[in-house]
Amino acid sequence: MAGSGTAHLRTDGTDGAADTVLRVEDLTVTFPAGRRRTVQAVSGVSFDVAKGETLGIVGESGCGKSSAARAIMQLPPPAAGSVRLNGQELTALRGEALRRTRRRLQMIFQDPISALNPRRRVRDIVAEGPRVWGTLNGDTGRVDEALEAVGLDPATAAGRRPHEFSGGQCQRISIARALALEPEVVICDEPVSALDVSVQAQILNLLEDLKARYGLTLVFIAHDLAVIKNISDRVLVMYLGKTCELAPSAGLVERPAHPYTRALLSSVPRGRALPEAEEDPIGGEPPSPLNPPSGCRFRTRCPRADARCATEEPLMRPLAAGHWIACHHPVTE
Amino acid sequence: MRPDHPVQKRRRRFGWGFRLAALWIVLVVGAALAADVLPLPHYDATLAGEPRTGPSLAHPLGTDGLGRDMLSRIVHGARVSLGVGIGAALLGLLVGGPLGLLAGYRRGRTDRAIMTANDIVLAFPALVLALAVVAFAGSGVRNILLVLGLLGAPAWVRLIRGVTLSYAQREFVTAARALGARGGTVMWREISPNVVMPAVSYAFTVMAVIVVAEGSLAFLGLSVQAPTPTWGGMINEGRSTMDTAVHTVLAPSAVMFLTVLAFNLVGDRLQEMAGYRQSGLEPARRKRPAARPVLEDAVPVAPREGPAPLLEAAGLRTAFVTERGLVRAVDGVSFTLERGRTLAIVGESGSGKSMLIRSVLGLLPPGGVERSGRVRLDGRDLTDLGPEGMREVLGTRLAAVFQDPMTALNPVRTVGTQVTEPLRVHRGMSRSEAYAKAEELLASVGIPEPRRVLRGYPHQLSGGMRQRVTIAMALSCDPEVLFADEPTTALDVTVQKQILRLLHRERDGRDMAMVLVSHDLAVVAEHADEVIVMYAGRVVERGPADVLFTAPRMRYTEALLRAAPDLAAPSHTRLEVIDGRPPDLADPPAGCRFHPRCPFARERCTTEEPPLTEADGRSYACWYPAGTPTEPADLEGSVPHGG
Repeated sequence: MAGSGTAHLRTDGTDGAADTVLRVEDLTVTFPAGRRRTVQAVSGVSFDVAKGETLGIVGESGCGKSSAARAIMQLPPPAAGSVRLNGQELTALRGEALRRTRRRLQMIFQDPISALNPRRRVRDIVAEGPRVWGTLNGDTGRVDEALEAVGLDPATAAGRRPHEFSGGQCQRISIARALALEPEVVICDEPVSALDVSVQAQILNLLEDLKARYGLTLVFIAHDLAVIKNISDRVLVMYLGKTCELAPSAGLVERPAHPYTRALLSSVPRGRALPEAEEDPIGGEPPSPLNPPSGCRFRTRCPRADARCATEEPLMRPLAAGHWIACHHPVTE
Repeated sequence: MRPDHPVQKRRRRFGWGFRLAALWIVLVVGAALAADVLPLPHYDATLAGEPRTGPSLAHPLGTDGLGRDMLSRIVHGARVSLGVGIGAALLGLLVGGPLGLLAGYRRGRTDRAIMTANDIVLAFPALVLALAVVAFAGSGVRNILLVLGLLGAPAWVRLIRGVTLSYAQREFVTAARALGARGGTVMWREISPNVVMPAVSYAFTVMAVIVVAEGSLAFLGLSVQAPTPTWGGMINEGRSTMDTAVHTVLAPSAVMFLTVLAFNLVGDRLQEMAGYRQSGLEPARRKRPAARPVLEDAVPVAPREGPAPLLEAAGLRTAFVTERGLVRAVDGVSFTLERGRTLAIVGESGSGKSMLIRSVLGLLPPGGVERSGRVRLDGRDLTDLGPEGMREVLGTRLAAVFQDPMTALNPVRTVGTQVTEPLRVHRGMSRSEAYAKAEELLASVGIPEPRRVLRGYPHQLSGGMRQRVTIAMALSCDPEVLFADEPTTALDVTVQKQILRLLHRERDGRDMAMVLVSHDLAVVAEHADEVIVMYAGRVVERGPADVLFTAPRMRYTEALLRAAPDLAAPSHTRLEVIDGRPPDLADPPAGCRFHPRCPFARERCTTEEPPLTEADGRSYACWYPAGTPTEPADLEGSVPHGG
């Protein structure tokens, strides 16, 4: 895995041209790593999202999924690659034009506490978007509607500050803030990772409801495969800044072909005592992105790796309908 | 989720020092503002009284060498001293604040340009420069204020930049930019409200500094010229009459001293409050009156027959005495544990699971904590041991691994010194013996190249490797019970599995007992023999792992299992949620603590608390448990008694 390539992008004009809302091509995100070096957090990642679809992005820490999310928002813009929203290239936009376009994308963050300004009241937090765009006009109906949509009572919640709410409620406020601008795409960066399991279920159900009600398109980032499978239509697996596998969520879980996807799946605790004989499916930990392995980036932990994997980077290629993989030795039996 | 149930509003406590200081500042500022209308003699009216007389009814602070009223002069002097102090502080903020915001928010080139200019200004000796400017441009309130204000600006830039930097990285700033807010709007609406508190606290500190600086200039005759009084000038004038009338120096000095002290006190207290985040478990300031035993004593435990279990907790209660009342974090928990077994404690945040093992280990925060109940290790009561005795037991017989390995390891000491320390302290090994043993330990927990790792520092290791090091440390003195508090929560799933297997293997190999605390039911189900489910400080269900997870009885356990998404279920399956949120432990609901969120709750659940009832090797606290007929008539018959 750990490959690149764009073959899996749905071609404009054929299978769903008008449908593609977000199209990301060869996205590369770099960070300075001191001593004039840079590290590539995201390295040539491509994907597209159709209108009304939920694309899940899954991977372990350091795989670049959050960096990719911010690069889509142009916060900050990526080092290279293309991000198109309804065909409009975002990376070429600057200043005022970017600001105008960016509002159509909104984001929900992992830490519900850090995502809300502790000094502002809930009403002001949710009203900030419409106020910035001058569409508030003094009426609170829009704010109330957004709060009601996420299951908060405007009468009691609007006047309070974030610290008076629990983590799950703060996440609802974040969602209301994003909704108030009527975005086309909402990027959810680990929105339920910091929540208790009972609250997590509430937020996942809420996102499904809102998606249906407002016709939203979601990019949902998480490290938990069970959560990803529950909410996504298609899933993209990332490892160390590269794409591994892209498949409809059921297909990915039932017929994982990439050795890394298989390792991730077998690591998920299933709630049943395991036979002790079972071997560790995957050893070691992800290598440093400062010095990534040559060829396929997963080869250092991969049970199927051979000489070819060290020299030749695998490209995304089709395996079945809608199922794409970047691996020289996929598991297909 | 009930939106109309916000957590208790936090109350701020200021303390007497702060109140007195604030009162003094209000008094001095008020007097200075009202100086002209106060019934005082004119500050420059000579021979208003006998010169150089001490305090009297007509002149509460006496008179100076020319017979002028001291109180009137001090009050009018306050106008200059405080005017310069407050004015210069505000000027500094006005100049330095926006520059600091800009530097901290924009960073990069803007930041470098502003900070370089700032450093150059800071390189000038401030007081010398002030003296030069005043000597050149002439003394007067305006010049003094300008000079002191502008000289203070670089410090303001630094402060505001620092605060801004810490907020500019927060996600709410990213969110505001995603909404389309311009840079200026973000700085004004999102960052500046958060800068206010540290800025106000710093302003008070700066005012104190400037009042002293103005006093020094006035003492040298370089501030406002006579006849206008200033505090520093009065001290200077008083010098000539000091031997006969000491009050002429003492009175202005004392007022200046108190004012500077008050500014600093207020500044410090505000700073404390600015950086303060309440957890809700802060001890109450006022001690409760004599009746200390606020916790009922442990439930009397009947003496056991047969050999004592390895670890036994009986009627453990832990509560925090807070402003909101008694927060019962652990409320009557009992369990036993034998060698070679793993006991898991599961629950959501706030259920008391982590507090329970801290109670067992005696690792509770100091102050405002009440603990009762018994903990016995091999029949020996640990609750009677003092801190000394407990230190002996911890690390040698009981050991712990926590969620974040980085906080368990000291970042500035090598891994080697930290791993060998318990070996040398508890086992009296020599340095070389301890290093040999440490190498062996690291190898046994699956660390490649242990010798190299021992020479390095914790930050050079990955999260999983760090957790392996803390496990090696915990195992170093062959403990009998290993406590693992969310040991894999901070780790990736592939690494989580490795660590859990390692713990399991070590438990078997060493014939230890293990207590595994986790919020993740699936993790627990794979690795525990027995499970305790906690809710709101109480045990609500207990039983063998396989039975408890396949056929839960308590409604909370059942709901928790159903709320977790299942990999085997199709996508977009609607999840079953638990409405509402856990209760406030300072004021738990009557009856069953889960009843406000339980869809099966009936009349009885709201009034009577269900006891933990034991049957078939498992126990649960529920009036209408799962897996029983749902007809009320049948239910009445099936409610278990005793236990």
